[in-house]
Amino acid sequence: MIAALALVAGVVLGLVFRPTVPNWLEPYLPIAVVAALDAVFGGVRARLDGIFDAKVFVVSFISNVVVAALIVFLGDKLGVGGQLSTAVVVVLGIRIFGNAAAIRRRLFRA
Amino acid sequence: MSSPKPTVDERSLVSARLLIDLVNTTLDPGYAAAAQRRDPSAGRRRYEKPAVALGCLLIGFMLVVAYIHTNRGAPEAAKVHDRLVARVRAAQHGADDLASRLADLEGRLAALRGQSLPQSGALAQQLQRAQLAAGQTAVTGPGLTVTLQEPAAASASAVAGRGGTTPIEATNILTDRDVRSVVNELWHDGAEAIAVNGVRLTPTSAIRFAGQAVLVDFEPITSPYEIEAVGNADDLSVAFAQSAVASRYQTLVSVDGIGFSFTGSDHLSLPASAPTVPRYAVPRPTASRTGGR
Repeated sequence: MIAALALVAGVVLGLVFRPTVPNWLEPYLPIAVVAALDAVFGGVRARLDGIFDAKVFVVSFISNVVVAALIVFLGDKLGVGGQLSTAVVVVLGIRIFGNAAAIRRRLFRA
Repeated sequence: MSSPKPTVDERSLVSARLLIDLVNTTLDPGYAAAAQRRDPSAGRRRYEKPAVALGCLLIGFMLVVAYIHTNRGAPEAAKVHDRLVARVRAAQHGADDLASRLADLEGRLAALRGQSLPQSGALAQQLQRAQLAAGQTAVTGPGLTVTLQEPAAASASAVAGRGGTTPIEATNILTDRDVRSVVNELWHDGAEAIAVNGVRLTPTSAIRFAGQAVLVDFEPITSPYEIEAVGNADDLSVAFAQSAVASRYQTLVSVDGIGFSFTGSDHLSLPASAPTVPRYAVPRPTASRTGGR
C-alpha cells in the first residue's frame, strides 16, 4: 500500500517539477527505466511469494541502475555502447517478462 | 579421442544452463536468500517502510521523467521545424516585396527616362534594343513553350517554394542540365527572349542545380519546367522539333515517363528581369564600336 502511494507520489513529483534531463545523462535514461521496471516487477512478485525484503528491493534497484549505467558507459567508451545497451535491455526484459508471468500465475492462477 | 567429446558437451551444457537460468530464475535470488536468513519471529524492522517508500518514489519519479523527456523531444523538434518554415516563409515574403518594389521603381525609372530622353530616334531605339537583349523590359510576342515535367510517381509532399513547386528528391530525373540544354537549343533556334518558370533569362543568367532544386538566377524552381521563348513561332517550332534535344526528350518520355511537350503560340508575354548592375565592367572611354553586329 505504502509502496503504491510512494509510486504515485513520485509520478506527481515528476509531473510537478518536470526536470530536464541533462545531455550527459540521456543515454542512460532508457537503461535506468528498464532497470526500474525490473525492480518493480521483482518486488511485486517477491511480495506475492511472501519473501519481500525492503533491503533487497532497494539495493537491487539501485545496483541494477548503477551497473546497467556502468555497462553502457563502458560500452560507449569502447565503441559498443549500442550493443551493450541492447544486451542490458534483453536480459532485464526477459526478467521482467518472467516476473510478470509469475505474477499473472499467482493472481489469476492461470 | 575419448576426452574432447565430453568437454564440448559440458561446455554447451554450461552455456545452455546460463540461458535456462536467465529465463527461469527471473526473480532476484537475493529475495530468497534474505527470506532464508531472516528470523521468522523477528517481525519487521523499522527502516523497511521508509526504504520501500523511498525506492518506489524514486522509481515513479524516474519513469515519469523518462516519459516527459521522451514526449518533450518530439514537439520540440516539430517546433524547431515550424520556426524554420516560418522564417523561410518570411524571407520569401520579404523577397517578393523587394521584387515588387523593384518592379515599381523600374517602371518609374522608365517613365522618367521616357520623359527626359527623346521618344524616337536612333538613341531611343538603341536603348530599347539593348534593354530587350539584356532582358530588362517585359516583352510580348509569338513564340514557343516547351514543358518538361518529372514523372508523376515522384514525391508528393508539398514544400514551400516558388509557385506550383514540389521538392526534387534524389529520384528526380530532370536536372539543371536538361533545362539548360532546352534553353540553349532555343537560343540556337533563334529565340529572342526566354523565361523559365517566369524567370526571365539575361546574358548573365545561370541555370544551376543546388541541393534539390534547379536554380535560375538563384531563384529555385521545380517541376514542371515551363520554358517560354519569344521568336518566330514557326521557325522555332520546326527547328526545335528537328533538334537532337527534342528527340532526346521524346525518347525519355517513353523510357522514364517524363512529361515533354512544346507548343507554338501567337502571344507570349515574358516578365522583365531584375537589372544586374555591372560593378566591374565599365564602358571604354572612346566609344568605338568595333566588330559589333
